[in-house]
Amino acid sequence: MTGPRIAFAGVKKAFGKRQVLNGIDLAVAPGESLVIIGGSGTGKSVTLKCLLGLIPIDAGSIRVDGQEVAGLKGAALDQHRTRFGMLFQGGALFDSLPVWRNISFALGGSVAERRAAAIDNLARVGLGPEVADLKPSELSGGMQKRVALARAIAARPPIILFDEPTAGLDPITAAVINNLIRTLVTDLAITAITITHDMTTVHSVADRVAMIHAGTIIWHGARAELEGCDNPYVRQFITGSAEGPIKVPGVR
Amino acid sequence: MIRLLAAIGGPVVAALASIGRLTRFAVTALLRVVQPPWYPAQVAQQMLTIGWLSLPVVGLTAVFTGSALAQQIFIGGSRFNAASTVPAVTVIGVVRELGPVLGGLMVAGRVASAMAAELGTMRVTEQIDALVTLRTDPYRWLVGPRILAAILVMPALVLVSNALGVMGGWLLATQRLGFNSAQYLATTARYLEVDDVVSSLVKAAVFGFFIALMGCYHGYHSGGGAAGVGKATTNAVVSSFILILLSNLIITVIVFGS
Ligand SMILES: Nc1ncnc2c1ncn2[C@@H]1O[C@H](COP(=O)(O)OP(=O)(O)O)[C@@H](O)[C@H]1O
Ligand SMILES: [Mg+2]
Repeated sequence: MTGPRIAFAGVKKAFGKRQVLNGIDLAVAPGESLVIIGGSGTGKSVTLKCLLGLIPIDAGSIRVDGQEVAGLKGAALDQHRTRFGMLFQGGALFDSLPVWRNISFALGGSVAERRAAAIDNLARVGLGPEVADLKPSELSGGMQKRVALARAIAARPPIILFDEPTAGLDPITAAVINNLIRTLVTDLAITAITITHDMTTVHSVADRVAMIHAGTIIWHGARAELEGCDNPYVRQFITGSAEGPIKVPGVR
Repeated sequence: MIRLLAAIGGPVVAALASIGRLTRFAVTALLRVVQPPWYPAQVAQQMLTIGWLSLPVVGLTAVFTGSALAQQIFIGGSRFNAASTVPAVTVIGVVRELGPVLGGLMVAGRVASAMAAELGTMRVTEQIDALVTLRTDPYRWLVGPRILAAILVMPALVLVSNALGVMGGWLLATQRLGFNSAQYLATTARYLEVDDVVSSLVKAAVFGFFIALMGCYHGYHSGGGAAGVGKATTNAVVSSFILILLSNLIITVIVFGS
């Protein structure tokens, strides 16, 4: 039995007076696809940014393959980040660079090699080479997401993080993205954490599911356990009901 | 008493903290400018945006202001029978003060705002986070090239600004005030000293540094959303204006005050 690939223990983070993460405990096994669900502003993106070392944590521990992330600096932090691919919530493509340079941004080699690698990764996300020379602003939202996905997988990292991969997409494009993620997880044998509030993503991508609320993980389990789960927070979330323990600010 | 101290103390501490943050930002950026690896393509791109694309607005400002200055010196000088000082005073005024200061302010309006908007947008759309995740130092990739390009290109821009400012004065003096063209140019050349040009170029480089520093600093630390970027843009322009005017005064006093 190997240890978890990623382990959060008691992770806390506050921005000013606002306590966003209030003791996150979470473990992801190698090769596993974890989906984190939760309402807007509950600290899902912050959790991923802490994992990447983009945001320093206040307390607790985050370990990747047994190595503590907090306190990493310089070259060690860069080394830590080589293990990850990240799909940012809005894509976060560099709009000054053409698609192929976005995808091959962190790759070495000659221009021809990097271009070829970019076109290769475009094919993986179902896009043709004609997209390579376009600027991100010339692409539709769904295509931008796919290019961002191609960038996230380009260096073949062992762990990929997906922050709301289907948010703002139509259901068909969303299904395409979900399938792509599932295929990548299976084909490339990666460990994945996906953040979403889209239940179709949960069903097509997850091996396991965790629900975050008010800065803590209030439920986690296998995807099959989700349906039968009697946690009132989870029930309200998966049924998308306005009635329940989760209060939306400003709504009585 | 304690309440008074607290009331004063809060803002003072906040001001000191932001000065510290700015200093750290500037030092980090400058270190990246001098240490390899460099990104020459990024620097060249920025030199084009800052220098070449600012030429029209800086040039127009210089011509108009040089002409207006010559006209005013003529009117003022006539009261003391000293109208012949027009070429000498114009060239000193333009090269020492108006060329660099007005050029700097025009570039600040164009460039500091654009840099703050660009970096601010990159911040709020997580492009800066993406850069870091892809193991590229944003100070090296974004901030350093902008600061270096501004320091390199501002002196050239101010040189053009000075030349066009003097030309504006000459144009007005010969076309409207009845000056002899050859004599005007000869007097101009006689009164223009090396110190004037050097101080002008030093000012230009310093202004370039402050313009890019303020644009990048405010953009890099931009708050969330469109409102955050808007605020960063305003702050970049206002703070670079103030730094240009203040550093201009300091350099003028140091170079010419004694
Ligand atoms: N860099 C930051 N500085 C200050 N507050 C932040 C920062 N990043 C996120 N927050 C705050 O933390 C909370 C959770 O944000 P986030 O993790 O992005 O939510 P979500 O779960 O929707 O992804 C929000 O209230 C947000 O305003
Ligand atoms: Mg989020």
